[in-house]
Amino acid sequence: MNEFIAPTVEYAELSPLLIVLGAAVVGVTLEAFLPRRGRHRIQVVFTLVALVAALLATGWVAAGLDEVEGASGRGLIAAEGAIAVDGPSVFMWGVLLVFSIISVMLFAERRIEGGVSAFAGQAAALPGTEAEREASRQGIEHTEVFPLVLFAIGGMLLFPASNDLLTMFIALEVLSLPLYLLCGLARRRRLISQEAAMKYFLLGAFSSAFFVYGIALVYGYAGSFTLADIHAAVDNNTGSTNLLLAGMGLIAVGLLFKVSAAPFHAWTPDVYQGAPTPVTGFMAACTKLAAFGALLRVFYVAFGGAQWDWRPMIWVVAALTMAIGAVVALTQSDIKRMLAYSSIAHAGFLLVGFAGAYGGDGITSLQSVLFYLAAYGFSTIGAFAVVMLVRDPGGEATHLSRWAGLGKTSPLVAGVFAFFMLAFAGIPLTSGFTSKWTVFSAAWAGGAWPLVLLAVGMSAVAAYFYVRVIVLMFFSDPVVDGPTVSVPSLFTSSALVVAVVATVVLGILPGPVLDLAQQAGAFVR
Amino acid sequence: MNYPSVHLAAEPSLDAFGTDNGWVIALKALLVFVFLVVFTLFNIWFERRVVARMQHRIGPNVNGPFGLLQSLADGVKLALKEDIIPKSADKVVYVVAPALSVIPAFIAWAVIPLGPVVTIPFTDIRTPLQLTDLPVGVLYILAVTSIGVYGIVLAGWSSGSTYALLGSLRSSAQVISYEVAMGLSFVTVFMYAGTMSMSGIVEAQAQNVWFILPLLPSFVIYAISMVGETNRAPFDLAEAEGELVGGFHTEYSSLKFALFFLAEYINLVTVSALAATLFLGGWRAPYPLSLWDGANEGYWPVLWFVGKCLAFIFFFIWLRGTLPRMRYDQFMKLGWKVLIPVSLVWIFGVSIVRVIQNEGGVDQQTLLIIAGVIVALLLASAFIPEKKPADEPAEPAGDFDAFAGGYPVPPMPGQRLPDPVVTVPADASQDQPRSDARDLDAPTNEEQSRG
Amino acid sequence: MTPELVVFWLLSVLTVASAVMVVSTPHVVHAALWLVVTLGAVAGCFLVLTAEFVAWVQVLIYVGAVVVLLLFALMLTRSPASTTGATSRNRPVAAFAGFSTFGVLAVVLTSGFRGIVLDLDSQPDQLGGAAPPERIGDTRSVGEAIFTHWVLAFEVLSVILLAALIGAIVVSGRVRDRDRQEAAAGGGS
Repeated sequence: MNEFIAPTVEYAELSPLLIVLGAAVVGVTLEAFLPRRGRHRIQVVFTLVALVAALLATGWVAAGLDEVEGASGRGLIAAEGAIAVDGPSVFMWGVLLVFSIISVMLFAERRIEGGVSAFAGQAAALPGTEAEREASRQGIEHTEVFPLVLFAIGGMLLFPASNDLLTMFIALEVLSLPLYLLCGLARRRRLISQEAAMKYFLLGAFSSAFFVYGIALVYGYAGSFTLADIHAAVDNNTGSTNLLLAGMGLIAVGLLFKVSAAPFHAWTPDVYQGAPTPVTGFMAACTKLAAFGALLRVFYVAFGGAQWDWRPMIWVVAALTMAIGAVVALTQSDIKRMLAYSSIAHAGFLLVGFAGAYGGDGITSLQSVLFYLAAYGFSTIGAFAVVMLVRDPGGEATHLSRWAGLGKTSPLVAGVFAFFMLAFAGIPLTSGFTSKWTVFSAAWAGGAWPLVLLAVGMSAVAAYFYVRVIVLMFFSDPVVDGPTVSVPSLFTSSALVVAVVATVVLGILPGPVLDLAQQAGAFVR
Repeated sequence: MNYPSVHLAAEPSLDAFGTDNGWVIALKALLVFVFLVVFTLFNIWFERRVVARMQHRIGPNVNGPFGLLQSLADGVKLALKEDIIPKSADKVVYVVAPALSVIPAFIAWAVIPLGPVVTIPFTDIRTPLQLTDLPVGVLYILAVTSIGVYGIVLAGWSSGSTYALLGSLRSSAQVISYEVAMGLSFVTVFMYAGTMSMSGIVEAQAQNVWFILPLLPSFVIYAISMVGETNRAPFDLAEAEGELVGGFHTEYSSLKFALFFLAEYINLVTVSALAATLFLGGWRAPYPLSLWDGANEGYWPVLWFVGKCLAFIFFFIWLRGTLPRMRYDQFMKLGWKVLIPVSLVWIFGVSIVRVIQNEGGVDQQTLLIIAGVIVALLLASAFIPEKKPADEPAEPAGDFDAFAGGYPVPPMPGQRLPDPVVTVPADASQDQPRSDARDLDAPTNEEQSRG
Repeated sequence: MTPELVVFWLLSVLTVASAVMVVSTPHVVHAALWLVVTLGAVAGCFLVLTAEFVAWVQVLIYVGAVVVLLLFALMLTRSPASTTGATSRNRPVAAFAGFSTFGVLAVVLTSGFRGIVLDLDSQPDQLGGAAPPERIGDTRSVGEAIFTHWVLAFEVLSVILLAALIGAIVVSGRVRDRDRQEAAAGGGS
């Protein structure tokens, strides 16, 4: 008689993940059984409740993490070695869930579109046909976006916490697939939106292929998918270095694609522009956070011993990313595209922190990057929320020229946007300054001072186009029959308030969050 | 945490396989081939006779005793026909397609057990009555038969004809859809048998009961999906002669057509043999016969096995003789919205029962009682009246446009034909009260009076 | 050379050759058919490596379902005999990219795995001596790996499929008439 030993799964420690994925499945069921009339309201409430529950569970898990003997981190390896529930994971879970809550509130906004959401009424209808207008007129909506976004969030929670490459790949697919779809669901400008979804899908599939090929090569090198085993193999220098280098490079391609680092950034402007603006905000904050988390974990934990092999590559990528992001953003005339290039530039700044690979006293590279991601996420969701509000009869007024003089017609909205621009530029008293400061100082401590100098220069270039928007809004004359600023519902307003407050607080009093990031400690192997 | 370990079903060994020498393998392969070809000839005759009887006819009775040689004569005739390759055909694919259809049908039989280990007459060599076996035998059959779909798809596509293309489209959608339900119906068998090898499943049924008893829903699902999988009536939409002439093989003639015919009948036997093996104890003797000790030894089991297959084939023929062809959308709905969900729920239930049994929590009787209650509840739920959608308001009669889209069309439900035009002599028209219908038809009236 | 090695080599050559045909044939249905040959040959390689479960699943899923669906889509969207559409002026560039990738990977893989022999007849006994030595890749070891070490990944995979299913319905499904009336009655507020 053969025995089968049942696997052990630490349900309590994995509860945030399980709550989100379980809620997604329940959301699908709700979609099947609820009458269409009340579905939107119930889905919104249900999704938000699930996310808050997951956030509370994350707090509870964080409080209960044990010190690991003989290592600097806290936490444990759960689910038969598939997930590392350690300080950085839990920190990222918390931040991700906060961002997700804000994003879902933007998803739920229905007032500014005149009673319908920002998502297509009927995605299957051809753009510009009678069927589409009919769906629009009757107020039909795709409430499936809420389960879909929950699926994506579940994948994002799993992605930076995966302790082996296979789980990481699956998490990558879980987070990507719903995003591909969500990008194609914009209510206005359907063709651009569908193009965005198509591009994102094709390039994303391509980058996943790179990622999985890299995994295969690294498996060939180390004989294991588990990060700790790969680390051991790298330390003992067991296999062929060629395999390791090729595998590392291909895995980096897959991950750098997701963080939109140059030269794998080409999808970003098109997708950010075409996707529904709430989805863009969600992607800019959450995908970036999850992907950077995974990048840090793979390269610090598994390939930490080979850092002299990968650091030069990351240096080049970081420099290129900053330069392309900052310089190309100068020429943009569409506000969403400009924000997309700004997001590329920020990916570059984050890579500077990552390339430092500093793990000594004070704030480590890991902690500084985590803090930067938290600070940047609030501002970027806020900025996209403002973009949602400034509207023409045909939808959002995304062309920069339409924003001229907005400061005179609607000073409050323009002021909030200007504040986010200053935060992006890294002006003191905003979160952008403190986060850039921590990242650059950690990178300097790690010996990446040429990169830091370049990053400071690029920050100055970037500041130019951020300030240009402010000048345009406040110091030029309003356009004739310019865009109107819609009055949003409570959802968007509270999301905006949270974003502004967080950006201010992280700028003036970064201490508590920085402490949290520091307490997160190091990755557990 | 310490979880109780789970006892798996005993794994039957495949030690009896893989020890044959070369000529035994060749002999067995040849015998399987001959068996299939002869059985096909027999089945064609069988089908024609049975359908004829069901339709109060006699059927083929001229060639040979009882007309048994009729199929052979037909085969020879087919072979002597002219082989036509249409001008617009994609020639290579057109020629390859029949082979792609018939080869997988044959090689699926590599793992079907026809009987126990026997001694080959006039030698001392003992060998199982099965060409070979794999630990994943059932998966192998599923995989191989799924290759057979290409024969149909490519035949339809390469013919360069619309009927053929439509037939192959239907067929590919059909086979893929029903393969899902078919695969799902096997899952419970695997759970009970603890193996995917064909001989292992037969062995497992020798130790317990035939799986048709505990797994009746799986058997029903399989029985329905096997008809869909083989493109047989009432699911023969791929070659629906009333709609698509001959479907995917419209353009084929001569031996190529014969190959399709052969493949179809072999597939018929294959799914029957699979059903017999998975649910009816394979080659093992049925109850009263099994009391005789020698029933499961020697070459007797081949007889029981062929008998079980023939029973299924009769079932196929019976279906064909009695049921009208289903409509395509109903057919797809049945597959996706009934068979697959029911399978999933059933697998879920069976796995729960297996876990309970493994942990030893509940004895057989309690389980049966619980199962009875659930069945009763399900039956009761069938009596809950279904909520009918509110009556749609009848569309106004005036909307009817007899030439909607440029073609003459009949009125839709709720629409009314306009009143017939009354041709009135010009002098009497003042007396006629003006109706709406006349307003509509005013030009026509004018035309007519002009004419 | 053992017979297994000869078969493996033949299958490998077949895989590569048919893969080249997939990308070089101008006829899109023929490309799909060559893809069938490629995937089937890969399944054959798995068989030679004694991974029979993976091999037959590969045939069942990729050959039997994925490519059939692909053909299905092609037949629904194109006229049966069209041969155009699969050619592009980027062919030289694509060929260069393909061959250089092939070269790099060939060097990396041969340098990485030269001289490494995998013993397929036994594997380290992970069950503490309870189980008999088994062959790598058989159904039992695959099943055990999936349901112990990879159980979480396995379950999350089902989430991907569910998300894909929902997504497919979202982008292709039409609103039914009953829902339409319901939404109209609700006023879409």
